[in-house]
Amino acid sequence: MAILLLAILLTLTITSLAAYRLYTILQPRSKPNKQWSPQRKRGERTHLLIVLGSGGHTAEMLSMLSRATSETTPSHRLNWSDYQFRTWVVGAGDSISAQRAKDFETSLAVKAKTETAGAVISTVPRARKIHQPILTAPLSSLRCMLACCVVLFQHSRTERGFPDLILCNGPATATILIFASLLLRFLDVGGCQREGKMRTVYVESWARVKRLSLSGRLLVWVVDRFLVQWPQLLEEGVCKAAGKGEYLGVLV
Amino acid sequence: MSGKPSKTCFVTIGATASFDRLIRAALSVDFGKALESHGYTDLRVQYGKDGDGLFDACLRHARDAGTSTLNITGFDLDMDGLGQYMKQAKGQGIKGANEGVVISHAGSGTILDALRISVPLIVVPNAELLDNHQVDLAQALAEQEYVVYGRLNNLAQALDDAEALRKRHKAWPPVNSGVHRQARGLKGVMDDEMGFLD
Repeated sequence: MAILLLAILLTLTITSLAAYRLYTILQPRSKPNKQWSPQRKRGERTHLLIVLGSGGHTAEMLSMLSRATSETTPSHRLNWSDYQFRTWVVGAGDSISAQRAKDFETSLAVKAKTETAGAVISTVPRARKIHQPILTAPLSSLRCMLACCVVLFQHSRTERGFPDLILCNGPATATILIFASLLLRFLDVGGCQREGKMRTVYVESWARVKRLSLSGRLLVWVVDRFLVQWPQLLEEGVCKAAGKGEYLGVLV
Repeated sequence: MSGKPSKTCFVTIGATASFDRLIRAALSVDFGKALESHGYTDLRVQYGKDGDGLFDACLRHARDAGTSTLNITGFDLDMDGLGQYMKQAKGQGIKGANEGVVISHAGSGTILDALRISVPLIVVPNAELLDNHQVDLAQALAEQEYVVYGRLNNLAQALDDAEALRKRHKAWPPVNSGVHRQARGLKGVMDDEMGFLD
């Protein structure tokens, strides 16, 4: 009985401490704010992580990056060489996405004079396969979460470091990866929270015209920037409640 | 082959889900007639990894019906993507070819590929999919006159509409105007978050 009571007390204490901690890690970065952003000069060591999610998600992500890196106005053009290290995350068995990431890097190596050596492709098990029964989904999601933690952490002791920026557009894997980054920041693993690592940019799929995706609904609360590609999505209650959401035109 | 200029209709159901009703509609006798009346010579169908049986059956049925001179071919998937088939439909790189049309499921990747090479596009949402946000995308793009919204029971009508769309073609991507132009898009957001202040 005493053990049970102790367990309950301990759980309560941990929960409230955790809630407070979560509050503090989400609070300062929840609004884009120059003072909280790290300040960098171009050419400094930087690490960008991009999540590809198979099918339409991959197509949209690469379309968006191709467009941004080939904008004709220099002030609007994404400079690939600003990101010395890139990590592409793909789901296990998704060889098409991995190939498309490689093709993109190769084309940029010629055009933007970047080193393809700066890019690595990391594979994580799928959160949920198509047609997988819903019952086993928690288990496979947990496995995916662990793998995501490893992907985020694996280079932290090397020159690459933690990702500075995570860019994703909505597959389940990306949602889990973002929550993995929160967990690492929550525990301040390797000083990632203190050093302002793993800022997050979420772009809702262009295919979402009238309603946000489930990923969007979950992530709007925790990401640093939340972009939509159809303006009417900003009217959704969850965007208003989270006080987040930007429409900058079609990005794909 | 006669001296008639080639004109291709490319039908794609995508890589993820099956879409039997689109394969049937595309290979129906009526739609074949509609294609011929618009001067099409080739019909190419990407039918997905489980679609070969259905495709063969439909093809036999179309041949039995008789009169079609259309050159009908099909394949399951192509790991190199659909770029080359889209270009064939566009009439690119083929001497004396006319621009044809692409008929596609409502997957955003396929729609983007077609918009980018600006070939007329008929989008047919798959009503059998759960959580069908693809219908919304097809409708929104049809309203903005980037694509034709195709209905399975009347693909011939969609083909007429696509001929009209060809004439008042709109370029993709849309030019972002006003405030969106100032915002520097994705680059602006990424720069802010990275703290590149220049």
